[in-house]
Amino acid sequence: MASSWPVAQIRDLTVDYHGERGWTRAVDGVSLEIGNGEALGLAGESGSGKTTVAYTLLGERRGASRVGGQVLFRGRDILAMPAGELLSVRGRSIGFVPQNPMASLTPSMKVGGQVAEMLRFHAVETPQGVGARVVELLDSVGIPNPVAAARRYPHELSGGQQQRVAIAMALACRPDLVILDEPTTGLDVTTQKRILELLAALKRETAVSMLYVSHDLASLAQICERVAVMQKGRLVEVAHTSSLFADPRQEYTRDLIAAVPRLDRPPAGRIEAPPPRHAPNLLEIDRLAVSYARRPLFGLGKPPADADSVKGVSFAVQRGKTFALIGESGSGKSSIARAVAGLTRPRAGAIRFNGEALPALARQRSTLLRRKIQIIFQNPDSSLNPRKTVRSILARPLSMFSRLDAVAREARVIELLQAVRLDPAYADRRPHQLSGGERQRVAIARALAAEPELIICDEILSALDVSVQASVLQLLQTLQRERGLTYLFISHDLAVVRWFAQDIGVLRQGAFCELGDTETTLSAPKSPYTIQLLEAVPRIDAGPPPETQPA
Amino acid sequence: MVLTRFGIALISLLAVSVIIFWCVEMLPGDAAERILGRNATPEALALLREKLHLDLSAGQRYLRWLTAFLSGDMGTSLVAERPVADYISSRIANTALLSGLALLLYIPVSITLGVLTAIHRGKPVDHAISVVVLVLMCLPEFVIGILLISVFAIKLAWLPPLALIDQARSFGELLELIALPTITIVAAMSAYAVRMMRESLIEVLESSYVLMARLKGLPKRRVLLFHALPNALGPAINITALNVAWMIGGVVVVESVFEFPGIGRLMVDSISHKDVPVILAISMVMTGAYIATNLVADILVILLNPKLR
Amino acid sequence: MAVSDSAAPSQKAGTVRRGAGLSASGWVGAAIILTYVFVALTGAWWAPFGASQILTGEPFAGASLQHPFGTDNLGRDVFSRVVLGTRPVLAMTFSATVLAVLAGGLIGVIFGYLRNWVDEVGMRVVDILISIPTLVLALLIISAVGNSLWLVVVTVAFLFTPRVARVARAATLGVVTNDYIAAALARGESTLSICLREILPNISGVMLVEFAIRSAFAIIFIGSLGFLGFGAPPPTPEWGLMINEARANAVNSLWPVLAPAGAMAVLVIGINLFADSLSRLIDRQGSAAVAK
Repeated sequence: MASSWPVAQIRDLTVDYHGERGWTRAVDGVSLEIGNGEALGLAGESGSGKTTVAYTLLGERRGASRVGGQVLFRGRDILAMPAGELLSVRGRSIGFVPQNPMASLTPSMKVGGQVAEMLRFHAVETPQGVGARVVELLDSVGIPNPVAAARRYPHELSGGQQQRVAIAMALACRPDLVILDEPTTGLDVTTQKRILELLAALKRETAVSMLYVSHDLASLAQICERVAVMQKGRLVEVAHTSSLFADPRQEYTRDLIAAVPRLDRPPAGRIEAPPPRHAPNLLEIDRLAVSYARRPLFGLGKPPADADSVKGVSFAVQRGKTFALIGESGSGKSSIARAVAGLTRPRAGAIRFNGEALPALARQRSTLLRRKIQIIFQNPDSSLNPRKTVRSILARPLSMFSRLDAVAREARVIELLQAVRLDPAYADRRPHQLSGGERQRVAIARALAAEPELIICDEILSALDVSVQASVLQLLQTLQRERGLTYLFISHDLAVVRWFAQDIGVLRQGAFCELGDTETTLSAPKSPYTIQLLEAVPRIDAGPPPETQPA
Repeated sequence: MVLTRFGIALISLLAVSVIIFWCVEMLPGDAAERILGRNATPEALALLREKLHLDLSAGQRYLRWLTAFLSGDMGTSLVAERPVADYISSRIANTALLSGLALLLYIPVSITLGVLTAIHRGKPVDHAISVVVLVLMCLPEFVIGILLISVFAIKLAWLPPLALIDQARSFGELLELIALPTITIVAAMSAYAVRMMRESLIEVLESSYVLMARLKGLPKRRVLLFHALPNALGPAINITALNVAWMIGGVVVVESVFEFPGIGRLMVDSISHKDVPVILAISMVMTGAYIATNLVADILVILLNPKLR
Repeated sequence: MAVSDSAAPSQKAGTVRRGAGLSASGWVGAAIILTYVFVALTGAWWAPFGASQILTGEPFAGASLQHPFGTDNLGRDVFSRVVLGTRPVLAMTFSATVLAVLAGGLIGVIFGYLRNWVDEVGMRVVDILISIPTLVLALLIISAVGNSLWLVVVTVAFLFTPRVARVARAATLGVVTNDYIAAALARGESTLSICLREILPNISGVMLVEFAIRSAFAIIFIGSLGFLGFGAPPPTPEWGLMINEARANAVNSLWPVLAPAGAMAVLVIGINLFADSLSRLIDRQGSAAVAK
């Protein structure tokens, strides 16, 4: 349907929220335009206001108290639309794909019904035709056996399939515009790649316009013709995808692009790893098996071997180096981390530290061993006790592992904060008064407080923004060089690990499918799974569509 | 899943019977003394004790009582000198009528008010209903009952102050007699349910899937009835189970206020008269009703939530 | 609150936390509670008449300057009885609730932390205890052991303990899954130290709210027992008992019924307002910290 109007125009949009400290401006004078059949990417880190902009296109204010400017859809101002008219635009002319499909599909309704009601209420299908069209839609987004899938409840589908259902719903009424709010966040890399391929294909076939909101520049690069970058509510830069990545004009955009981990070149400011000479093994894992099966009542009997989340894994970590454990969710990588930290009792196998066998649980280990092995967790929100100050969080391991008096301890706390590049004044703060990256630095400082030899890093970057990830990674490298630390680095992100770890193990369903030094393993992978993982790493420089990109 | 719940309910009932039996055992004096009174001769006491098997150990007596109870023999009331089963059956029927009627009114009242307050959150309707609900919640049921009596029976003389429903001669009269106790129970019970319904619905209304349903362009009514309500009912059903449980205790109080001839008041009377077989029987009936309600609620919640099915 | 894996806008969380305090209704509730505590402590010195002083005026006198709430069937001053009743009512409520929260909290935290067969068996027992209607069990126990003031307190505490234990366990479960507990375990902290240093500070808010809510329940419950004649023995000026004694004569004068009922209702409303506001305050602070 040709129209003289572009699909959407945002003119000088401002959005303010009213909090207890008065007004905060979330979006500040943003103007954008989405052309017919164009996909516009909207990038930015958390708190940049990108999601708020996307929601105003649907006439949704999300508790915003003041919205100024114009949001035109085919020339009509959505912000000024009466409620009834807005309902006929939502879903019918503008589709929406949510960030978290599990939480966004109604749990009590079958997925087929949720797609069907769109068709019924927007009257785009005759009542007799609805059933067939639902199946057709589910089939078109690549859901296997769509007839049976329509009769399932959302929780009976995998995360990827849930997202496919959401996409089918968004496309059900053949809208002019689809708004995608971080559609691949929270999915495994391989699933992420398939969803991106689906979106690219749908875009080609249906010529639908898209507003693609994401913090992930690489996925934007694969779908969008143009990308807009936002920072703190303001529009920093809008440009064609290829020119934006090749020649970013603003410094913020440059930093953002530089922070994206890439397989093909090392990150900026990378500290060269120590020369690859052979070092003695610090940690040896021998046929480790971990089971998460619930033990029967009264703890009698051993759990069966087929319930193992880790199936007899062996590897060694050399002193002063970094060993990366790579895998998707459910691969057993965190189970290994917890077993090494003494938080889970392995079902079978041995862990040796410095040549000595490690007792299974932390409590059975000597104080010295507990001191030498430290763990940093994925989410600092959860790993720092919210009721304690940074000082008391850092002082606890000091008082447990060293005999320092109060004055010396205070000095150490300051020293530790400086070591992780935090202002010593933060000692009096509580975790919620810090940003995500700062919190993770406190968690790192807590691990350093024990003066460890081995630090287990369990997905410590995944809760952080890319630019923050890059700086934390840099900090870890500096600390490793200064203190000769050994890292067991658990991650799902090959691009991060590529330049950070000397050795790598790729885990799949509790067993290694690849193990060796990073350089050779990633340049000539043997297992098809590793190849698949490598291919799934989104590339910034490869323009759309993804099919044409070299594997 | 449902079967396990059923098994747990049965085990609970059995365990409760032990606890109740044990409590009753601790009542001062033994059954023979209670029957014969203070002036009984030692010989008569000894004879009766043997007849009542009081010479047996507590465990043996419990088993005897339990097997008899299971076969429908609840013993003989010491006060009325009639078999407990027919003594309490008419009382049970009365209480069941009262509770049934209350429950019938309670469900629509609390769902309607809960939904009203939730969708008009922060508006005058919500504030007005919430204040009334808070006050009702804070008033003990006997205070609500007495207030109703003083207004409707004493000041206005519209309704009788006592609910002696056994004297009703027509259905209309029965309704008049039972009205005040029913309203009392509904008022006290709905207060919690309205609050619960309001909170759980507000949480659901703020969920991503309700946002999603709205962004699909569905009409408000559709979003509320098909996307929000089914998912908000679970907690409301749980609170209803708790409420019914409360009602089983509250009925004791309400029946006392209105001198309603149900098992609640009989329970109080029997305790004052130390009428052990009746106490045991009523406790078991009440606990059974309580456990049964919880069971039904559990099963309903499972049926409503596809994730648990 | 919906779980979202993206970082919430941090400035938003910050604005909410600043200047957080009790809401206006919370302060009203707190003021009501404090007033009652004040009356309970000092009432004995300024109440115009004794609690069991009869014929202080005509029986069933209406409200007057001398008898603000009138007199009852024996000519006792209702105002004085309500005022003097504050102390036994608050004392019973407070002791019963403190006992229940301490015992239930301890059981709940230990079970929630252990999460092994002790917890499994213990929670079954708790479920069974909860599945006996409270009032029925209370009547049974009190008729078995007698109805002195302190036995009522112990009975009420006993009945509330399993319910508190459930809440404390649920709160603990919400805390123990956090990685700071895992960090403490990896550090080699003792169970006691983890319970006291890591868990307790994070569930104290929930337990405080539970304490407030349970006190409100306790007042109503003790009043109901008194009303049924199983509470404090006469002539204690306990409110439930007063209502019971007065309702037979409600036709003559409503004051002896309404005054204690009103006193009870206002106190319970005050506690509820306070508890509501408190729980909202705690919800806002560290939403990750406090499990519902």
